[in-house]
Amino acid sequence: MNSLNKRLSAEKRFQAYGLFAVALSMFFVLILMWKIFSTGSGAFVRTTIEANVFFNPDFIQVNQNSLEKELYRASYVALADDVVRQNHPNLNEEQFIKVREMYTRKFDYQLRDYLLDNPDKIGQSIIMKITASSDLDQIVKGNYPRDVPEAQRKINDYQLSVLDKLTSEGKVSSVFNFWFFTKGDSRDPETAGIWGAVMGSLYALIICFSFAFPIGLLASVYLEEFVKPGKVTDIIEVNINNLAAVPSIVFGLLGLGMLIGVIGLPYQVPLVGGLVLGFMTLPTIIIASRASLRSVPPSIREGALAVGATKMQTVFHHVIPLSLPGTLTGTIIGMAQALGETAPLLMIGMVAFVMEIPGGPLDPATGLPSQIYLWSESAERGFLEKTSAGIMLLLLFLIIMNTAAVLIRRRLEVKW
Amino acid sequence: MVEQVNSFAIKTKNVSVHYGNKMAIDDVTINFTKNDVTSLIGPSGCGKSTFLRCLNRMNDVIDSCKVQGEFLLNGVTDIYGDSIQVETLREKIGMVFQKPNPFPKSIFENVAYGPKIHGLASTQSELNDIVMESLNRAGLYEEVKDRMDDIATGLSGGQQQRLCIARAIAIRPEIILMDEPCSALDPIATARIEELINELKENYTIIIVTHSMSQASRISQRTAFFHLGKLIEHGDTSKIFTKPDKEQTNDYITGRFG
Repeated sequence: MNSLNKRLSAEKRFQAYGLFAVALSMFFVLILMWKIFSTGSGAFVRTTIEANVFFNPDFIQVNQNSLEKELYRASYVALADDVVRQNHPNLNEEQFIKVREMYTRKFDYQLRDYLLDNPDKIGQSIIMKITASSDLDQIVKGNYPRDVPEAQRKINDYQLSVLDKLTSEGKVSSVFNFWFFTKGDSRDPETAGIWGAVMGSLYALIICFSFAFPIGLLASVYLEEFVKPGKVTDIIEVNINNLAAVPSIVFGLLGLGMLIGVIGLPYQVPLVGGLVLGFMTLPTIIIASRASLRSVPPSIREGALAVGATKMQTVFHHVIPLSLPGTLTGTIIGMAQALGETAPLLMIGMVAFVMEIPGGPLDPATGLPSQIYLWSESAERGFLEKTSAGIMLLLLFLIIMNTAAVLIRRRLEVKW
Repeated sequence: MVEQVNSFAIKTKNVSVHYGNKMAIDDVTINFTKNDVTSLIGPSGCGKSTFLRCLNRMNDVIDSCKVQGEFLLNGVTDIYGDSIQVETLREKIGMVFQKPNPFPKSIFENVAYGPKIHGLASTQSELNDIVMESLNRAGLYEEVKDRMDDIATGLSGGQQQRLCIARAIAIRPEIILMDEPCSALDPIATARIEELINELKENYTIIIVTHSMSQASRISQRTAFFHLGKLIEHGDTSKIFTKPDKEQTNDYITGRFG
């Protein structure tokens, strides 16, 4: 009886250890999430300053009859300066420079984009919410302290006084930052977006899938169903398993040496990135696919062979369709891993400053993780929240892909 | 018993089978008469299933398996010869397995698969007819006619096995091999299958491996007793079960060993 009590209390202790382990890991996950969300949520809003904009034809040298091309090429810098002067009258030159700094440097682009959409507004006045500079944005969001000596601040006393005046007039407001989801990278945090990196990663993943999935499937079907086991297949098997454990930067080196160096594919393009990620994902797909081929009961193969199907018909009509859920699950999990891989992208140059959103797999691009890495290296406080927001987006994509993998397995799984 | 050469569905002579170095069948000579049910009985591991699977070359997929001896289909075609392809052979010699193994597809697809790959139906309505007729012969049509598109693995065990029989006869074989077709079924489903085997022997030669001696005596006209890879005795079922020639056979059927 005594020994039974001992055994029962041992079980209770074991359960307590387990509970503690689970609670500890949950705690760390929560801390991580809290840190990312509290830092990153700021990236989804941006501060704007309301201003009266008069599209003075004298400054932009176009009129209502101008072509779109002319509207696009016109110089908006002088117009932007004029807007600042009109809204802050009686500034001396030094004050003007300080006030101009409160607005984004890309102010002129904002004016141009508006005019391209509304060419009839030439010669008219409108009220517009002009994006504030990142430093002002950080002050408004409370990320930069106001109560430190002026020399330690990026926003000086004069700018603060102007800001307070604008705030009291109700001209300072926060809007949802669509730019983060629609624009490419930028030197200025307030106009930097993640879309270029998302598209870069998307093209890379499409290449990765179209390269690795068919090759992985064919290789696994051949190894599992057709080839006679022997020394050679043993060696291949060991090598595939080893490849799955090779650090991703080695695949990056392979891409740099082979694809770029020997074959001569261009540097920093999603095509090369996708191929490298494909090399990396291939062993994962082969292992998952072989496991799921092996899980198809031999009785199904016998049933097909017994009605006179050839080996190939047996495999293609019955075995592959039945193994596909497992193969697809493995593929998606492998691709999710590839999406988060940074090292291979660094090796093949997909870590450069790219403003343009790539239009295809042969345009220079960054990927999501390398964009996050780039932003994390930037000094401006504004990029810190972009980094965390980028991580949030990356995690979101990973969660979506892994959920899809689970759903596919549940939906297509065959009940025997 | 004098019989014509062509009254044998399959003739075998001096058959030996090895798995690697292990002998599974040792010099077996046996002929299977047409439109009879022949039972292969014997203790576990006696080689009766191995022998059955040699008849439609299902052992081909096992690399270590070596088959020697003569196998003649209808007294003329060498089963292991170059003149016949294994797919054509299996079209003539169908097989039903121990555990029901319907494809996880619709009931219709299961039966239609064989005729489709062999091109037995040129139109959809012909295919429908073949499927209907096969299910009818397997005594399953009435039970499934309203749910032909349901997945076959949702049927009961006995229904699944009858579906597998329908799948086998859909390609119009001459011979049906059955490897313990009732061992995974309950007594009622077993009775249905036995009834079905009795009906099928009008049109097909049936060779069945069974563990149940009562089943062998109920359904078969001929019985062959295997022990340790050797064919001990082969003859009319009534004789084997009442007055066997060999003492070993007598010991087995009276339950003294095995």
